[in-house]
Amino acid sequence: MSALFETPYFGIAVTIAAYWVGVKVQKKTGLVICNNMLITVGLLIILLKMFRISYDAYYAGGGVINMLLGPATTCMAVSIYAKRDLLKRYWAPVLAGCLAGAVASIASVLVMCRLFGLDWAILMSLLPKSVTTPIATAVAESHGGIVPITVAAVIVTGMLGNILAPILIRVFRVKDPMAAGLGIGACSHAMGTAKAIEIGETEGAMSGLAIGMCGIITAVLALFFDLLV
Amino acid sequence: MKILLQIGVVFGLYWVSLLIEALLPIPFPASVISLLLLLLLLFLKVLKVEHIREKADFLLNNLGFFFVPVSVSIMNYVDVLRTCAVPFLVICAVSTVVTFAATVGAVRLTCRLMDRRKGAEK
Repeated sequence: MSALFETPYFGIAVTIAAYWVGVKVQKKTGLVICNNMLITVGLLIILLKMFRISYDAYYAGGGVINMLLGPATTCMAVSIYAKRDLLKRYWAPVLAGCLAGAVASIASVLVMCRLFGLDWAILMSLLPKSVTTPIATAVAESHGGIVPITVAAVIVTGMLGNILAPILIRVFRVKDPMAAGLGIGACSHAMGTAKAIEIGETEGAMSGLAIGMCGIITAVLALFFDLLV
Repeated sequence: MKILLQIGVVFGLYWVSLLIEALLPIPFPASVISLLLLLLLLFLKVLKVEHIREKADFLLNNLGFFFVPVSVSIMNYVDVLRTCAVPFLVICAVSTVVTFAATVGAVRLTCRLMDRRKGAEK
């Protein structure tokens, strides 16, 4: 019986089913807290725990979906390209925003780690948490961070960004879709961008752009992390 | 055949990016390399958006879905996180808000400076 859960078909089908429920619930309720990602992931974890299915068994199918993550990130180029006129006119604010975002993320984590008295390994695991997973784990690994903590921090940050994006836009009274998109991408990478795409075309494109730019800036800044001792 | 070709183009691009990633001396992810590569090809007009439109729309419209399996992996890290759960959550939440605010603030400031300069030129 358990072998049946290890076929890729199970992981793929159950993920699509859970996502379908998540999207439906969000559409029906319209509540920020009924976030489709949160519902989908929560539902799957409960299901796997309840039927004692290991993550590895689930990942036989989950891995196939995960395989499309890279190509999906690639395709953000299409939405950025569609906004090339906006980009030509506003390259300065875009650059300034991403730079400020990357620095603010690193600085805030640094300050709070010091306040909580966390050690070097935890600090290095959390510093790159606002950027896309592959850059974050590469940065953490090369500076003695604990990779699983980095992965968890990137996911939690992404989820928070995905959930909070509409609230943040309202609280900070962001009327400019370009600023909103850049902000979402800078603070919560592609998981936030998934929400930005739902909010609007310009938001989605700018959020995608911010992932790439903040990722690059963070990777460059990371070269100086060892000076923080 | 059209969709098949589009899948081929996107996957092919991503494979080339994996190759570049392997050759680069610094750790830099293939996903960002391929994003930049596709952007470059579009700007150089080597590729047209029409060549990949349906595939790109499919992937982008379901972007959240592709993150589900990685997110579920958080169930494996519960034990690691239990040791520092409170600071961990506080740090994630606060820095998300701070980063958003800093980015939006910088964009606003720069836009205002641009407007002022434009006003001065007139």
